[in-house]
Amino acid sequence: MSNENYLDKIKELPEAIKQLLGLVAIMMIIFLSFFVLNNIFGEGDELVAKMKIEEERIAQERKLNKLISSLPSGILVSFDGTDHFRLTDEVYEKVCNATKLIPQRAIMGANFLNYRAHEIYTMNGNKISETFVKWDEEKNKCLAGFVVSGKNVGVDETITVSGEALSFLSTGIDTRVYFIKNF
Amino acid sequence: MELIKKYPKLFQWLFLLIVFFALCFAIDVPETYKFIRGQAEFIKDPNQSTYVLFGKEVRYYAFDVFWRLPPLLGWLPIWINDSLFFLMNEWMPMEFWNEDTQEFKTRPLLLQISRNLTYFMTFLIELIREILIGGKNTVVAFTSWEWISENPWAELPGLPWTIVAAGAAILGYKLSGKGLALFAGLVMIYISIFGQWKPSMQTLSFILIAAPLSFIFGLGLGIAAFKSKRVEKALYPIILVMQTMPQYAVLVPAMVLFGVGDHAAVIITMVVAIPPMILLTLLGLRAIPPEVIEAGKMSGCNNWQLMFKVLIPTARRDILIGVNQVIMVCFSMAVISAFIAAKGLGYNLLLALNRLDIGLALEAGLCISLIAILLDKMSLAWANKQIDYFGNLTFFQRHKNTYLFGFAVILGIIFAYFGSFYFKEGYNYLFEVPHNKGISTADFWNKGVDWIFDAFFVYIKAFNTWLIVEVLQPMRALYLRMPAVATLVLVVGAGYIIGGIRSALVVCGLTLFIALSPWWDRALVTTYMATFGVIISCIIGFTVGTLCFQNKHSASFMLAVCDIFQTFPSFVYLIPVMMLFGITDTSVLIAVIVYATIPATRYTIEGLRSVPAALHDAATMSGVTKFQRLFKIEFPLAFPHMMLGLNQTIVFALFMVIIGAFIGTEDLGQYILKALSDKKGAGIGLTLGFCVAFIGLIFDNLIRTWVNQRKKHLGIS
Repeated sequence: MSNENYLDKIKELPEAIKQLLGLVAIMMIIFLSFFVLNNIFGEGDELVAKMKIEEERIAQERKLNKLISSLPSGILVSFDGTDHFRLTDEVYEKVCNATKLIPQRAIMGANFLNYRAHEIYTMNGNKISETFVKWDEEKNKCLAGFVVSGKNVGVDETITVSGEALSFLSTGIDTRVYFIKNF
Repeated sequence: MELIKKYPKLFQWLFLLIVFFALCFAIDVPETYKFIRGQAEFIKDPNQSTYVLFGKEVRYYAFDVFWRLPPLLGWLPIWINDSLFFLMNEWMPMEFWNEDTQEFKTRPLLLQISRNLTYFMTFLIELIREILIGGKNTVVAFTSWEWISENPWAELPGLPWTIVAAGAAILGYKLSGKGLALFAGLVMIYISIFGQWKPSMQTLSFILIAAPLSFIFGLGLGIAAFKSKRVEKALYPIILVMQTMPQYAVLVPAMVLFGVGDHAAVIITMVVAIPPMILLTLLGLRAIPPEVIEAGKMSGCNNWQLMFKVLIPTARRDILIGVNQVIMVCFSMAVISAFIAAKGLGYNLLLALNRLDIGLALEAGLCISLIAILLDKMSLAWANKQIDYFGNLTFFQRHKNTYLFGFAVILGIIFAYFGSFYFKEGYNYLFEVPHNKGISTADFWNKGVDWIFDAFFVYIKAFNTWLIVEVLQPMRALYLRMPAVATLVLVVGAGYIIGGIRSALVVCGLTLFIALSPWWDRALVTTYMATFGVIISCIIGFTVGTLCFQNKHSASFMLAVCDIFQTFPSFVYLIPVMMLFGITDTSVLIAVIVYATIPATRYTIEGLRSVPAALHDAATMSGVTKFQRLFKIEFPLAFPHMMLGLNQTIVFALFMVIIGAFIGTEDLGQYILKALSDKKGAGIGLTLGFCVAFIGLIFDNLIRTWVNQRKKHLGIS
């Protein structure tokens, strides 16, 4: 009964007011729909935090890229006694942090002293599961390594080979680990 | 309350704008937004959110939904791609006879249809092309390569340019008299002596296939829509979308279905050219007075006779205007389809633009424009030509043009024959002027461009910088600053105020499609560029139109200028602006402004002209000044018509913004261009095309609804 009264009242309203109410109603529907969608798809502060970390990482990477492009192309070493470009301790750490790639040359060199890793590596089509280059704060050294995994005579095996990255190859665009000392 | 009752619409608009701005200020830009916009899109990033719908994984950067909606339609391009792949490679495999290997081969049905269509189209194009410029592919199609090498005489020689020029002049004379004949002859001579004969004939052969086929299909579908409401209802949304869809976007899925080359270009051109033909056929048939139909029925016509002996001849003019539109679309597509390797002037133009050889581009562009103007004038003359049923003419008088053409053919052959003796160095200039042997003004134009840059570089750069830094960048930032919810409220609210709940729902659906696609930001950039172009175009168009309307001659002159400019394929507009402003956003925007000013000017003049003369007299009798008459009578009455001009201006501006992607904007067009070179770009290209079409349709819906209401209100509907 009361509903009918309300309906009648709305119907009796002037056309201009009804139109304005219609506009308000449409807006409310839009807000409600967005509100519901926000509950389903919206992501909160966690995403902002994640993004900020990512932003910092990219900013850091840009700085390192700038440094790398300023280095001479060719082999960069962290020790004395060669004709190659000698990295200072500070730059050595930065180059270590900027380096992502370990080329096959360095991997095969390291495998040379790890027979089992070499075996798995060749048996499984020269596949590498994972590579890593990281700065070891305690030892003040750049560690580089890789993981080889696969079947060795029917048995699944995983071996991690790691050592000190003593030299890098600068291509002018990026740097790659040139020599891993794993002995 | 009384005020609300007195000015209801004004209050509604005010309320809507207050809510819109309140939302814009209330919703902050998310901290991550700027960062994400700086990143490459569609990279795999662990910070992206994902969802799976219809078996497709969609990755996206999640924001507060009030700011940007999640791309819930992100699966659509992937789904379109997969569907196309399935249809082309797996759907309904059948055994088909292979002529080359002489055995049955299993192929999916659609692939076979597409291959057959490809062969058929290629054959037709080659046939016309070889009639015009010679070749042996057509003969080989019926014989073999061995046979043609043993019988070289059977190779089609092609027509000497003198015969084609004479033919065009005679046709021009038949259709409209000496003026058009002279113009046709001069255009053909120009094309020939400037060494553009071969590419021009390649373009012409493409149009001579695409235009008649589009006409036949358009006419057939138009008649079907006239006969059946169901067909009309089914065709209407397709026609509507196709009219606002950028032609670029159609290229991408068609490439998947038909590959690249002239045949694919013809098929795509047909897809784009058929809708205006359907519309004009429908318009023409609808405009036939019922008395004519009654008279036809009373004379005992059956349905077939009624349609083809009574209705179509009565609607002849509208149908022929449709032919004119088809030809114009074909020309604009002749350039765009160069992107998928269609040969001809468009391809040369694209190559020249690609290597920034403005001079060569200008030459090719001028040729396309001249042929377009010529065919436009010819088709319009054909549409307006009255058939003289009562002329008491002799056989010779009736067929004098045929005799004249026969004579020209003989003369052309004789000239070409003598030319082969006269020109010793191996090129018979009376048969064909080769591309590199014609007169070329490219160097002159290139030097001109260099001079412009040398002399005005500082000023052009200063203007560029000012426009970009002070106007465009802030405007762009303003558009990108709009939260999704505020934009939706504004658009849907405007739809509601203008056209009620129905209009609100339509624009809501269209806006949501764009907002839920992964390219909302890009769509905002497209809209900002189009808006800037439209504002300036309307200011120029309305002012020029109003000023020209004051004098009968200047109005006719301006309409003629608009006619000519409208026939230029849209791509041609990029050449002069690139000459002046180089490869910048300014170039695109100036091209947009020039291109979009045409409908604004035209509709202003036509709108002001449509005001009944009686009202002018009444106003003059009432003692109003010229200024009062313009602002109190003419403008209010012409405004609905002018708004239709605004509608066209928006569509033109959108088209040009999308084409502007070629010189490096970062809007939806850029993504369509990228999709063209992407193996899996069909879905993206089509979805982006829909996004652009829907931007156009939103404005179209709002403006048309307003115009119809206004016309009703003024009693001029």
